[in-house]
Amino acid sequence: MEEVKEKIVSIEKPDLIAPPDWKPVIVGILCNWCSYAGSDLTGTSRTQYPPNIRIIRVPCSSRVDPWFIIKALQTTADGVLISGCHPGDCHYISGNYYARRRFLVTRELLKMVGFHEHRVQFSWVSAAEGSKFAQVVKKVTEDVIKLGPLHLYKKENFSK
Amino acid sequence: MSFSTFVTDKTGLQKLYEAIISKHETYAPVEKFGKYDYKKVSSLKECDPDSPIAMTMSVKPLFFPRASKIMKYEANSSGTTIMETDEDPLAGKRVVLGVKHCDARGLQVLEAVNKWDYIDSDFLKRRANTVIFSTRCDKADTHCFCTSLDYDLEKLDALDVAVVNGSDGKIYLQARTGKGDIFLKENSGQSTMYDVQNTMDDVRSTKYEEDMKKQYIAFTGSFRLKMDYKDVNEKMAKRFDSPAFEEASRNCVSCNTCAFICPTCHCFKISDEKIKDTGVRYKSYDSCNNVYFTLEAGGHNPRPAKFRRWRQRSMHKFVYYKERFGVNLCVGCGHCAISCPVNISIFDVVNHVANSPASS
Amino acid sequence: MDYSKQIQDIAAKLFADGKIDVFVGYRMNGFDDNQIPVVITDPKEVAELVFTEKSVFNLTNYLKADHTRGKRVGLVVKGCDSRSLNLLLTESQVKREKLYIIGIACEGVVDDKGQKMQNCVECIVPDAVVYDEMLGTPKGIRDYIVNADIIELAGKGLVERREYFEQIFENCIRCNACRHSCPLCYCAKCCIDQETATIYNGSNTSSSAFHALMTWSLHLAGRCVDCRNCEKACPSHLPLHLLHKQNEKVIYDNFQNHLAGVEEGDRGAFYKYSLKDPDDFIL
Repeated sequence: MEEVKEKIVSIEKPDLIAPPDWKPVIVGILCNWCSYAGSDLTGTSRTQYPPNIRIIRVPCSSRVDPWFIIKALQTTADGVLISGCHPGDCHYISGNYYARRRFLVTRELLKMVGFHEHRVQFSWVSAAEGSKFAQVVKKVTEDVIKLGPLHLYKKENFSK
Repeated sequence: MSFSTFVTDKTGLQKLYEAIISKHETYAPVEKFGKYDYKKVSSLKECDPDSPIAMTMSVKPLFFPRASKIMKYEANSSGTTIMETDEDPLAGKRVVLGVKHCDARGLQVLEAVNKWDYIDSDFLKRRANTVIFSTRCDKADTHCFCTSLDYDLEKLDALDVAVVNGSDGKIYLQARTGKGDIFLKENSGQSTMYDVQNTMDDVRSTKYEEDMKKQYIAFTGSFRLKMDYKDVNEKMAKRFDSPAFEEASRNCVSCNTCAFICPTCHCFKISDEKIKDTGVRYKSYDSCNNVYFTLEAGGHNPRPAKFRRWRQRSMHKFVYYKERFGVNLCVGCGHCAISCPVNISIFDVVNHVANSPASS
Repeated sequence: MDYSKQIQDIAAKLFADGKIDVFVGYRMNGFDDNQIPVVITDPKEVAELVFTEKSVFNLTNYLKADHTRGKRVGLVVKGCDSRSLNLLLTESQVKREKLYIIGIACEGVVDDKGQKMQNCVECIVPDAVVYDEMLGTPKGIRDYIVNADIIELAGKGLVERREYFEQIFENCIRCNACRHSCPLCYCAKCCIDQETATIYNGSNTSSSAFHALMTWSLHLAGRCVDCRNCEKACPSHLPLHLLHKQNEKVIYDNFQNHLAGVEEGDRGAFYKYSLKDPDDFIL
């Protein structure tokens, strides 16, 4: 029986249809002490999660300059996930408190400029939350699949 | 050598423009946020060939783009391959409407440097393939000083077709180059336009000449700013060490806008953009007013101070380029003053320097 | 609002007492009734100084190293200008003892066409917050007003907003005038100007403008004082205030009503935090 697949369109540009073999690219920026360790735990526990995420390790979520998010969206990313320690548990005491301010402002600005709010998502994942990490990645990947490929403001050599 | 002149009226001109837009690749001033920039148009409604002087940006990016790809490269274990980039999208046969004549003169002035030690075939090809229609200004704007420079404004040979408003609602289409002549003759059937030589008898022909003369006198009389460029050339050459450069440039914020907007500025930088082992090389605008324009790889910067950069900029325009190529690198359009956040005009700077005491 | 005579007198006295090397103020531009900044070193030029509702440019831009490095400066600041000055002082870009500040209790300025500027209509802090001398009667801080354009944009759908901003990013010519006229953009080498091939953004497409304008406004978030120097400098007349005002609104609503540069020692919204900051959007 032939499976009829629904066409996926890019939500910001509804006239752009995704090619049938399109797979989303999620860029994940994880803090070293909590989220990266948590993702490590997911792996050692053999919990499956979508392979679309590419992980970048930073020492702390406050290392994430909003510039990184802009650059990721401009290159290959269809979605971005930024993950850090839970508030109060930051290895550097207060890094994630500063980070969450930046996250909110960046998110709102991108929304205003025309990006769907699910393109850039944030999470608190601790080193013990292996299963949560898998859930988070699954959620973000599913959200981005529904949104379609990102075709806004891509650098010339990166447009698909 | 005289080229043909056609006469028509407002409706005839509109019809001609519409015919040109439908038959040829046409660029014209398109308004966005109150400023007019030259974009490709597919109908006359999208654009305004009579855009106001102060709000119209230069046509230079159509010949010397703000950023262009020079080449692509790919590196692998056996070496680096260089690939030619795609066909130049700006090299086809084009028509540009609504160019100001100072702007067109800027392209003519730039030809000299593009034919110098390196023949910039891209620029010259784009110039050769483009027909420029220019609506002749009836009067000067606040910052204009094109009449003070070395451009014969009655001859107007930097553009191909001059659109001149005559009296009684007549509009004259004067071919100024062979290219414009051929173009007009080829397209004269598209609209109600009559060749002046064929349709005017002696009396009306004299009236036409008088009309043009009167208009030209009214035009040249409407300028607030006037200077003697030969005097400026001579005096500036002797005032390299003058403190007047520092005085004139004190409130500049080194924002780069003047060089980007100027119809004659042609400084550029070459930069690579890459991912892993493949990349693209770009040539993009730069400004000699930028703090880092002269920053060398070793870290030394010969022009760290603002007045040095201003000195280099104004001397380049009125002394060095003139000495080397015989023409000033300024067309007196005034766009630098219009776009500058603090309204500095190159006119003020060079005159301040020229009128200052000579350095010993 | 005309403080021309007072400012001329104060500047003359400062030069006469040898207290300053340079005075930064406004003068008539010489061809119409608008004003431009002037940097005076000679006491005789003090007679050119004016201050009226046409005195628009934020003069603290001239405190950057390129312009008045190491000199003792006298300058005139309105409410918004003084807030950016406060930030520059806290961020150690100028020394307080090298400045003589004339603060103005501003009643709003007008643009080239004589219309009151939008940021003055919505002004919250009209009086100078740091000064050695105040001219005019202070009116106090007003209630926060959300920018009218932001409210309008919030009512539009995603695709409509995307189309509108695409126009803006397509018309940017990357001249960087906005950065250079902003008093708070003083980085010796802007992060996005690195010629490193992996970072460089050479193409003249909207991608390059998106990268530059978004990064710029996010680096200014919590520090921008809405002086509109950037919009005035932009040769393409882009409505840059939309980006900054959006950030300002989010910061005001969510981070304890923070306004850039109002308190002494303020370093912007991203240099402090509260345990009460919202994070319900975080998974």
